[in-house]
Amino acid sequence: MKIDDLEKLKSEGVENLPSEERRRFLRFGLAVTGVFVGGSVLSLTSARNAQSSMGPVPAEGKFPYSPHYTMVMRQNRCIDCERCMEACVKTNNVPSYGYRTTILQQERAIARGEKERVFMPVLCNHCNRPPCVRVCPTTATYKDKKNGIVMMDYKRCIGCKTCMAACPYNARYFKEENRAIDKCNFCFDTRLSKGETTTACSAACPAGVRIFGDLTNYDSEAYQLIHKPEKVVWVLRPETGAIPNVFYMND
Amino acid sequence: MKRNNMSVKNMMGLAAVVGILVFSSLSFGEEAYDEDTYGPKAPILWTKPVKGVAFFHKTHTMDAGLSCDSCHDSIFEMAAGTAEQNADFTMASLYKGKYCGACHDGSMAFASNTRCTTCHIGVKGYNKLTGAAPQGKGSGKH
Repeated sequence: MKIDDLEKLKSEGVENLPSEERRRFLRFGLAVTGVFVGGSVLSLTSARNAQSSMGPVPAEGKFPYSPHYTMVMRQNRCIDCERCMEACVKTNNVPSYGYRTTILQQERAIARGEKERVFMPVLCNHCNRPPCVRVCPTTATYKDKKNGIVMMDYKRCIGCKTCMAACPYNARYFKEENRAIDKCNFCFDTRLSKGETTTACSAACPAGVRIFGDLTNYDSEAYQLIHKPEKVVWVLRPETGAIPNVFYMND
Repeated sequence: MKRNNMSVKNMMGLAAVVGILVFSSLSFGEEAYDEDTYGPKAPILWTKPVKGVAFFHKTHTMDAGLSCDSCHDSIFEMAAGTAEQNADFTMASLYKGKYCGACHDGSMAFASNTRCTTCHIGVKGYNKLTGAAPQGKGSGKH
């Protein structure tokens, strides 16, 4: 039927609707309402695994890797001397336009209108659920099956930079010399695989900010620190669900 | 009508700015920073043993009420850069009551093993202070 013809038709009016039609309409409305009400009621019940108040430290035995590498940042000790960055550049041959680790600065309001400086060291968080690995189209970046380090296979990288966009921590850069993405790998190729027990940045820190360690080793300083009684431990951008392995605290 | 409102607003804004300027110049006139009394206006910046530590004379003299001989020449030499030549110019010495630690002991002033970033302005702070006003040195203008 053409629109012109439709316009000529006389309106039937709602008073002439069959009751069957009315009932069907009401049932549909009830179904929609039921779904909404049901959802609201469900949202009021507690989720079993909600642990936000318990902090981001994984529960005992919930470390998927062995060794499960981590870095604990005692943030209030950081003085932005940037020896960590210098050591990283030297050890891992990082060009001047990129970085594998950096220090961010914040101004935090304290009493009487004063402000305090807060320095925040940032590097790859070697997440348990790394968004960068998920988006890589060539599996050039991957999670090491044994130690959980987020690694790069430079030869496979096509330089699409999707991982750079996906990383919640801005921990990746495009290295012109390699024509590939470069990032922190906890100094795996330059130090850990050669028998060193810590990263270059951690070794260079004069203030004991960066504590590198293995969470499966209960005697390690890193494990001890994030399990200290009465201490608040946090991670950066927990809302991304990436489950990062770099923890922050004040000593 | 609209235009009139705008001009009135502008006039008021101008008056406020002039008022602030007059007021601030008056208040500056009352307690001007005198380098002979309070020490150099420019911050003392250390790069050894770590980069980016700043000391402001104003905070300690004009604001906290210390006099020159509170520190000079017993704790610090007058000449800037003398302390950092010493091998014991470290945080460990401060904790033992040397240098800044003479006052920053937790009772007279905040302890030197707390509030690190108050003095440690970092490489970022250092670059900001030195890079933002490179011509400021010696010209007397800040």
